[in-house]
Amino acid sequence: MPDVAPGPLAVGLTTALHRAGLPAPPERSVGLTRALQLVPPTDRAALYWTCRVALVTDRAQLPVFDAVFSAVFDGLLDPSDSRGDPNAPPAIGSEPRVRPVPHEPSLERPPGTGSGEADVSLPGSEGEGEESAREVLLAATSTEERLRHTSFAELTADELLGVRRVVRTLVLATPHRRSRRVRPTRHGGERLDLRRTVRAAQRSGGDPARLVAARRRTAPRRLVLLCDVSGSMEPYTRVYLSLLQGAVAGARAEAFVFSTGLTRLTRQLSVRNPDDALSRAGAASSDWAGGTRLAEAIGRFVADHGRRGLARGAVVVVLSDGWALDDPDDVAAAMARLRRLAHRIVWVNPRKAAPGYAPLVGGMAAALPYVDTFVSGHSLAALEQVVAAVGEN
Amino acid sequence: MPEGAAARAGAEEDVRDRLPDVAALAAALDDVDYLAEPGLATALFLGVRLPQPLLLEGEPGVGKTEAAKALARVLDTPLFRLQCYEGIDAAEALYEWNHPRQLLGIRLAEAQGSPLVEEDLFGADYLLRRPLLQAIEHAGPRPAVLLLDEIDRADAEFEAFTFEVLAEAAVTVPELGTVRATHPPVVVLTSNRTRDLHDALTRRCLYHWIDYPQPDRVAEIVRRRVPGSAEPLALDAAGAVTRLRGLDMVKPPGIAEAIDWVAALSLLGVDRLDPASVAATWGAVLKNRDDLELAQARGPGWLVGA
Repeated sequence: MPDVAPGPLAVGLTTALHRAGLPAPPERSVGLTRALQLVPPTDRAALYWTCRVALVTDRAQLPVFDAVFSAVFDGLLDPSDSRGDPNAPPAIGSEPRVRPVPHEPSLERPPGTGSGEADVSLPGSEGEGEESAREVLLAATSTEERLRHTSFAELTADELLGVRRVVRTLVLATPHRRSRRVRPTRHGGERLDLRRTVRAAQRSGGDPARLVAARRRTAPRRLVLLCDVSGSMEPYTRVYLSLLQGAVAGARAEAFVFSTGLTRLTRQLSVRNPDDALSRAGAASSDWAGGTRLAEAIGRFVADHGRRGLARGAVVVVLSDGWALDDPDDVAAAMARLRRLAHRIVWVNPRKAAPGYAPLVGGMAAALPYVDTFVSGHSLAALEQVVAAVGEN
Repeated sequence: MPEGAAARAGAEEDVRDRLPDVAALAAALDDVDYLAEPGLATALFLGVRLPQPLLLEGEPGVGKTEAAKALARVLDTPLFRLQCYEGIDAAEALYEWNHPRQLLGIRLAEAQGSPLVEEDLFGADYLLRRPLLQAIEHAGPRPAVLLLDEIDRADAEFEAFTFEVLAEAAVTVPELGTVRATHPPVVVLTSNRTRDLHDALTRRCLYHWIDYPQPDRVAEIVRRRVPGSAEPLALDAAGAVTRLRGLDMVKPPGIAEAIDWVAALSLLGVDRLDPASVAATWGAVLKNRDDLELAQARGPGWLVGA
C-alpha cells in the first residue's frame, strides 16, 4: 500500500464517487478522513471496508461504489486481483439474492408492442369501430363530458395534459385501521388517559374529580401502487404515473413501476415539479417500455418490500393489463403471497373496458382469483371506480 | 460534518485503550462468541471510536441485533434496546411520568395529612425511564450501547426526534431540568428498509450491509451458539441451509434457523444429517407452508447433498 495522506485520498475518492452519480457531499470526505486516521489502510481490504462504511449509505449503491473503488485503487476495472483472498471484499456485482434476469433479446419486447400495434394483437382490443363511435360521442357531448369517458389511449397530446392535471388531484383515501396512539374523548372511551387525568387533578387540588377517557386513534391504511410500464401499457403509462404522483403526495403512498424488473419510485415522484418527477422516474427505471415479467415483479415486491412490512395490512393497487411473459402458475403463486399480506388488492386493467373483454391472457386469468376488486380505470370516469375501490372497507 | 464535529475528539480514553484497532475489536467479539467479518468489525470499530451512529442493514437473521449485543458485552456496558414500531412516540422512547403512582401519592398525602407540593410528585421517583433516557443517563464508566431496532418501522417524525436527542446528548424534562450525558451512548440502528430512511439520518450514520456468511462460517457460528453440537452436524446443517437459500423461498432460512435446527437435531441425538432426520425436523428450519412444499418436492436426500 503506497503511503498516501488520508485527506487527499478521501477527497479524491469522494470526488470520483460524485462523478459516478453517488451522493457524496463534502462532509462525507471529512468523515472518511477521520475514519482513515483511526483505521490505517494497511491493505486493500482494510481500505475498502473503511471507505465503504464511511461513504455508502444504501445497499443499492454498492455496485457503483465497488466499481469506482476498483477504478481508483486498482487502476483498472478488474477485481480479479482480490479473488482467492478469503478476507477480500466481495467482487463487483457479487451481491446475494439479486437474480439476474436472463437476457433474451427476443423476449424483451412482446411481439407487436411497437408503435400502436399493440392493441391489435391483444384480445379485447379496441378495433376500428371505436373510432366512429368516438366521433359520434364528440358531436353529442360537451368536451369535458367527452374527456371524462374517453380512453386515455385515444386522447390527443393537449387533452392528455389536461387529463393528467385532473388525475393528479384525485384523492386516493384508504380505509382506516386502529392505531396504537390514543386521543382524549368526551363520550366514554375504552380506557382512562392517566396522563391527562393527573394533569386535570392538579387543577382541582390533587383530587382526580374529572376522569379523562381515551380512545384509540385511527390511521389510514398504507397504500401501495404497482404500475406496469411495459410496452403494451404505454398508452396509459403517462396518466397512471400522474395518478401515482398524486397518491405519493396526497396519500403518502408507496409507488413502484415494473416491466422486466421492479423499481421503487416513491422518492422520485415526491419531487414537486410533476414533469421533473416523470423524467426522473424515467431515469430510475431502466426497463421503461420493455416486456412484462409479472410474476417476477410481484415476487420481487413481496420478497424485498412487502414481507418486510410495506404490504402488511395495506391496500395494494396493481395497474397492469396482465400481459405477462412468465408462467401463469408463477403469477398465481406470487399473487397468493401478496394476498396473504395485503388488506385488499385492487387490479386496474385498462383493457377491461373494451367490449367483449374476457380476462383470458395467462397472467391476468391467473391473478384474478386473488384480486378483491377488478376495475378498468381507462378513462377519467373509470378512475373514479379506482378511487371507490381503494376507499372500500 | 454537521453539528458538534469540531468538539468531538474521538472516543473516551478507557474505550480507546480497550479497542486500540479493528483487530482488537474482532478478537474481543470472538471472545464473546460473536464472529464478525472484517467489514462488520471495521464498521463497529468506527462507530465506537469516531464515535458515530452505525446503521446496520441485512436480511432478517444475519445477526444485526446480535452485533449490538456483542458490542455491549465487549465494552462491558449495558445495552438499551428500543424496539421501534408504527406509532411509537416520545413517551415510549424517552420517559413518562408514573401516573398511577402519582395518584397514589396524592391519596397517601391526603390520608396522612401531610403537605404535598408539586415537586414531590414530579421527582425522580415518579419518572419512568425509557431506553433513550436510560442510555443518556448511564453513569459510566464507559458509554452504554443504545440499539434502535427496526428504525424504519417508526415514522419519520420519530426518527427526526430521536436524532435531535442523540445529537444534543441531553434530554430536558420540564419538571426536572436537563439531563446531560456524561458518556454519550454508542448508537447502533437496524433497518429492514420498509420505507426509505430520511437523508438526514443516513447522512449522520455510518452504514454497513451484512451479507449472509459462507457455509463454513455459518457452521462456526452455529457451533458457538449450540454448545455440545458435533462439528460434522453443524457443517451439514449449514450446507443444507445454504442449499435451501438457493430455492425461491418466501422466507429463506437464516442463521437463526440454522441454530434452531442444530439445537433440535442435537437434542434428538443426531450427529450426522441424514434424510430420515431431515424428514423429522423440517419444521425447525422451514416455517412457511409454500417453502416446505418446495423443499419437500426436492426431497430430504437432495437437502443432505446425497
